[in-house]
Amino acid sequence: MSESEKPVVLIVEDEPDVAETYNLWLADEYEVRMAQNGDEGLEELDQSVDVVLLDRMMPGLSGDEVLERIRDRGFETRVAMVTAVEPDFDILEMGFDAYLCKPIRSEQLHKTVENLLERTEYDELLTEYYSLVEKQATLEATKSSAELAESEDYNELRERIGELRDDLSQTLGGIDDDEDFIATLRGLSDGNEQ
Amino acid sequence: MVMSSEQPKTMYDLSTVLDVEELSSVKPGSGILIAGPAMTGKQQLAMDILAEGSREGEGAVIVSTGDSASDILANYRERVPSVDESRVGIVDTRSEGGRSEDYTNSGTFVHHVSSPGDLTGIGIGITKCLESLHNSGADNGRLALVSLSTMLTYTDKKTVFKFCHVLSSRLDAAGYLGLFTIDSGAHDDQTIQVIKQAFDGLIEIRENEGDRQVRVLGLGGQPTDWSDF
Repeated sequence: MSESEKPVVLIVEDEPDVAETYNLWLADEYEVRMAQNGDEGLEELDQSVDVVLLDRMMPGLSGDEVLERIRDRGFETRVAMVTAVEPDFDILEMGFDAYLCKPIRSEQLHKTVENLLERTEYDELLTEYYSLVEKQATLEATKSSAELAESEDYNELRERIGELRDDLSQTLGGIDDDEDFIATLRGLSDGNEQ
Repeated sequence: MVMSSEQPKTMYDLSTVLDVEELSSVKPGSGILIAGPAMTGKQQLAMDILAEGSREGEGAVIVSTGDSASDILANYRERVPSVDESRVGIVDTRSEGGRSEDYTNSGTFVHHVSSPGDLTGIGIGITKCLESLHNSGADNGRLALVSLSTMLTYTDKKTVFKFCHVLSSRLDAAGYLGLFTIDSGAHDDQTIQVIKQAFDGLIEIRENEGDRQVRVLGLGGQPTDWSDF
């Protein structure tokens, strides 16, 4: 995989040692960008950033404020909040996609980033699935069953829908986790507002 | 391979409510759409199916877009006088004052959301209901969402479709049975066709010369013939 194809992770963390540790852990698999405060983080942010690791307590802009500006600017990047205290669903309601409690271990960090990338994949699959289901419904409403049976496009469409359904059931473990469930639903509402 | 509940769980028998062969053994995690014109008893049917589970001690989750939690509970008590109310959870989407939660004196968990369009709030409510029922000892159960038609007036069909798909997946993982009602007269055919695809099966109700008839599609096997109910 070439450098440009790696998913991009942006670390916004005011403690250089901590940021560098995350960087060391992630650099093999991801293109890592680093920012020391909220303003720098927002400067580093563009459409290519897949995941932001955002420290909640920083001098200057707080993590909450940075998140608000990320959402205001319409970026669909996934944002994991890094915090010292264990929060609950409230965090997801606030618009964060995940949270990590300090101190973070390498395995935990990897798992979180992978999970967030998988959620993006799930959303994309679900959007494609919907558009094909809608197409199928339109075809079925306008053509006779005899016409449909002979239509190569229609049969291909049905096949693709079946494949997507399988893919969806295997992504995110088929939504067997509460956080994945809530965060996916929140993504639907966000998309609706835009 | 479809990754769903690892352990084989007991099938749901709905044929005691609706005498159709295809409903005698419904797989845990199945999502069923109940579609029909207004005033044909869709909600009744969904609640009857839920009540049957409650009589067996299963969990019951009711997501309502119309009635208040207290009305739902009063009605449910009448339906199943023996119900263990700690095994009932309600998501009331017409609450004033945003998201909140409480327990009734009889132990029913109620999650309040201020609008049927608040999908995240509804999702959180369902999650907390499932958790509450699990803590009360119910490890399987049934969920009824009445109705999708109301949700469709708050948000577009694309979002409702995705919501249904994601919720069905979550219920599949929990081994729950899902029942969702939709007023087939309130939406165009294409909308119904699309929404249908988010579910494993369809119970269709129609009125024929004053009689109510029903048929079952999906759930393994060919569409059944129309029968009176």
